[in-house]
Amino acid sequence: MLVIDCPYCGPRDQSEFSNGGEAHVKRPDGSQDISDREWGEYVFIRSNPKGLFYERWVHSHGCRKWFNCVRDTSTDEILEIYKLDDPQPPLKKFENKIKTPSGEPDVGSGNFTVKK
Amino acid sequence: MIELNNQNSPFIHFHQKISFKFDGIKYFGYKGDTIASALFRNGIKLIGRSFKYHRPRGIYTCGIEEPNALVQIISEYSEPNVRATVKKIYEGMEVESQNRWPSLDFDIGSINNVFSPLFSAGFYYKTFMGPHKSFWKKIYEPVIRKAAGLGKPPKEFKAISSHLHHNVDIVIVGGGLNGLLAAVSLLNTNYDVLLIESDNQLGGILNNSSKINEINGKPSQEWIKETIENIENSKNIKILKNTLVTTYNYINHLIAVEDKYVGAKPTEDKVNSTLHKIRTEHVILSNGHIERFLSFQNNDLPGIMLGASFEKYICRYGVIPSKEPVIFSNNSNSNSLVQTLLELNIKPKAYIDSRSGEQIEGQLFDLIRKNDIPLYTNAQVKAAYGNKKLEKIIVEDSSGGTSEIATDFLCVSGGINPDVHLFTQSKGLLDWDEKDLTYKPSTPFQNTITLGSASGQFNLEEVENEINKKLKIFSPNKIKIKIKSSTANEYQIQKLWEVAAHKSSMWSKSFIDLQNDVTTKDIRQAISEGFDRIEHLKRFTTNSMGTDQGKISSINALGIVSDLLDKKVNEVGTTIYRPPYAPLSFAAIAGRNSYEFYDPERKSPIHQWHIKNGAVFEDVGQWKRPWYFPNSKSESMHDAVQRESKNVRENAGVLDGSTLGKIEIKGKDALNFMNLIYTNSFTKMKPGSARYALMLGEDGMVKDDGIICKISDEHFIATTTTGGAANVLACMEEYAQTEWPNLKVYMNSITEQFATFNISGPKTREIMSKVFSEIDFSNEAFPFMTFQFHEFEKTQIRIMRASFTGEMGYEIYVPASSALKIWERIHEYGKEFGLIPYGTETMHLLRAEKGYIIVGQDTDGSITPIDLGLNWMIGKNKIDFLGKRSLTRSDTVRSDRKQLVGIMPTNKEDQIQEGQHILLQETIETPVPMLGHITSSYHSPTMGHTFGLAVIKDGHSLIGTKAFASTSDQKTIPIDIVKPIFYDEKNERLVS
Repeated sequence: MLVIDCPYCGPRDQSEFSNGGEAHVKRPDGSQDISDREWGEYVFIRSNPKGLFYERWVHSHGCRKWFNCVRDTSTDEILEIYKLDDPQPPLKKFENKIKTPSGEPDVGSGNFTVKK
Repeated sequence: MIELNNQNSPFIHFHQKISFKFDGIKYFGYKGDTIASALFRNGIKLIGRSFKYHRPRGIYTCGIEEPNALVQIISEYSEPNVRATVKKIYEGMEVESQNRWPSLDFDIGSINNVFSPLFSAGFYYKTFMGPHKSFWKKIYEPVIRKAAGLGKPPKEFKAISSHLHHNVDIVIVGGGLNGLLAAVSLLNTNYDVLLIESDNQLGGILNNSSKINEINGKPSQEWIKETIENIENSKNIKILKNTLVTTYNYINHLIAVEDKYVGAKPTEDKVNSTLHKIRTEHVILSNGHIERFLSFQNNDLPGIMLGASFEKYICRYGVIPSKEPVIFSNNSNSNSLVQTLLELNIKPKAYIDSRSGEQIEGQLFDLIRKNDIPLYTNAQVKAAYGNKKLEKIIVEDSSGGTSEIATDFLCVSGGINPDVHLFTQSKGLLDWDEKDLTYKPSTPFQNTITLGSASGQFNLEEVENEINKKLKIFSPNKIKIKIKSSTANEYQIQKLWEVAAHKSSMWSKSFIDLQNDVTTKDIRQAISEGFDRIEHLKRFTTNSMGTDQGKISSINALGIVSDLLDKKVNEVGTTIYRPPYAPLSFAAIAGRNSYEFYDPERKSPIHQWHIKNGAVFEDVGQWKRPWYFPNSKSESMHDAVQRESKNVRENAGVLDGSTLGKIEIKGKDALNFMNLIYTNSFTKMKPGSARYALMLGEDGMVKDDGIICKISDEHFIATTTTGGAANVLACMEEYAQTEWPNLKVYMNSITEQFATFNISGPKTREIMSKVFSEIDFSNEAFPFMTFQFHEFEKTQIRIMRASFTGEMGYEIYVPASSALKIWERIHEYGKEFGLIPYGTETMHLLRAEKGYIIVGQDTDGSITPIDLGLNWMIGKNKIDFLGKRSLTRSDTVRSDRKQLVGIMPTNKEDQIQEGQHILLQETIETPVPMLGHITSSYHSPTMGHTFGLAVIKDGHSLIGTKAFASTSDQKTIPIDIVKPIFYDEKNERLVS
């Protein structure tokens, strides 16, 4: 179980939170004239990378506040947590954490058990 | 009778006799005994039958790693698969052996052993394929399930467990020599420390063997006692005994289960086990090592046991399983066993070592020679023989010469492995040690420190150094320790995974996994069939897939595979170690979240009134709602619902609608916000009016519905469905925070603050005028879909003119504290008009007659408002609302979407059944085209026959045509497709 550092309440167990999927997906508002495809991509398509991922969480059994974070999906490591109106941190900031070509860190992913 | 007790053991209370039953026969043991040690005391060696071949099995180990000695505890709700080597006995305990029929001694299933040449690896995958698919489910599976397997599931289970959370700085796993030393070094520091030990005695190897006699000049037991006293007197260290750490999760989150009833029968009124959920900064793993076995012909016979376990029985449990054991080893770990036996004046019948005379430690060599023990060097046990117990072994020396030794017991040691299970769960990496021939913890992923044999450090002289070095980061108390050991300090081993013996017969087996009956032959076969990756091989052979997870054997399998593939063991790798370390019962995981605490029960503020008035309840989400109110014990549900419905249509009825979700929305931009959340437009709506509204997902599908009351442009109250309240509030919060943070709007749940009573029927107005005599309920003063606030007996109430039944009706919103008072008043005044309470089933029937949908019953997440024929509810002029753009997607404008219609049986006596399919032809020919299904169906007392709502492809254009509906007995009935409204189509009664 992760420990998530709610920017409003402090570190709490994951069981108090709900995941809200990918962050920084802007909703096209109704005034925009967009194609079925563009709208469909907003509604149905999300990225699912192995490695660094911007995602949203809500402290659903706490302060009910939404916030964003950067998490490494291959190790579950949360690298940064920031409020909704904070600037999006560039991925460059974290990139040296990834070591192997597949984006798999050599320790911690659980896919490797033995030192190569 | 041979004296099997070792009275020197300080852990067994030899003056306290305990009687227990094994397979119905009464035996005696002593307080402190495990089932296994007590059985050895009684000379019992056969304890179970094996998983696949039903071979006789005995006790192989003396701990959690046990593969064979699994028993069923009859006296504890028949708990199956309990390790006899761990579970302590108590007075009156009843134990049964497993997987045998009719008896342990004579087991019909052992016929499998005769056919065993057929049951090779992958047997199930290859064999039970034909001749027809149904053969698996109907014939093979039941037969295999009966024959194979472990214990029987308990019939009636009522274990009680609780959960306990800890937040500490350091957890020490394992209270052996290194765990105790780590605790000493952290004594009275600023760290909050938890020391966890799975046994009820701290000391580990100090208790289990005679390896270490003295520490700092004191006998080791004395040193343990002093150390424990120091720890217990410290302010910062807590000891948890009888607690097994099963799981090491991400961010140093450990799960451990504590047995609260060691050596006692669990009672029903107290917690049996505690699940500890521990979050810590650092973990020190000092959980020791596990001895591994060796494979040779018939290495599973009762009477064969691990060497270190044999020693543990003597030292820890004060029982000597055999007075004339033979020892077979390839490493120095068995030295202390010889020592222990000789100290008790027991002479091993033979000592067999695969190492040469020069490799064997000088101290051991001298001991063996001095005591005249038959020594076989460069030798291996080729095979064991016996009928249900070990009778003789065949020893082969390096020249190929064999000799036979008659014996009833064989102690085997194939080397020792650090117990790396928890370390790898934490996602640390292992590395193969070519000298010690085992995997050792290498790179940790979390704040994990391994100590002693758990880190692969087997040399006792290094203990002080290691602990001072590794714990340096804590600036601990420096450890000074002098260990006097009886045997060589250095660990030494010779490579040996299995004894390469010639096959003597088709039925003799050389096991690599005792619990799952996997043989070394199966490993070879798997590799020859191409399963040369270790994860594939594991699943194909089921090697190490038992409840013991191959604790004593999986490294051997890796060794054999690496030899066969001519690869380094590191290249073969290991399978992934997953939690739990040892079986964890569901009862412990569930904790108090079971029975009545499984899910919270939510109740209306007038729940007690419903009980008093004989309501039958229905679960709606977490809510208990009155389903119907039978007027006598004999009235059936159908009769009650017909009576209630009729009464509402003719007189009046009142429903407790308190469970409906209620959300209050306030703020400068509340109007804008509501316009964006719901499909309807609230802009032109007058304050004081109400509107039925729909909420969509961004995909355009109906998500929830409810009535919105507009108090002002800055203040709304929304109702939601009973089950959807939390989701609607969460959705509003999400959009308010993430998409439209510029809107000044706030929302909160007021569901439980207010009770809601829905009163409806033609006599409603008269009743309401009597109950609230100051209020004018005339059509002009109180029109349909408006609401008013009123003061009633110093309580503010809100009354809304609305209806879900099709009759004229009002909804009364009352603060929960005054709910019962007003509810009773309504009944008191309504009696003369024939007012009755009605339940959810009648509500469903009445609304269906009007074609009002229930979200989640008539919709299923794939239905748009257009599919429902609710186009009028969509605010056409609004620029935006949730899901708006989706309503014009090519998929949502298709004409052949499933659309809501009404259906009636053509022959009025036919029953329309909910959930059945709609067909266009009378006969059912598979595959039946999926046109749609019946979402709601009831018997209408007004019409006198059944009717239903259905979603059908292109349904709107099929209205007025005929079709067929399937029935549960595979027949069809003719139906008419009609508009989804069956009662008062012009809404005259509603607004009257």
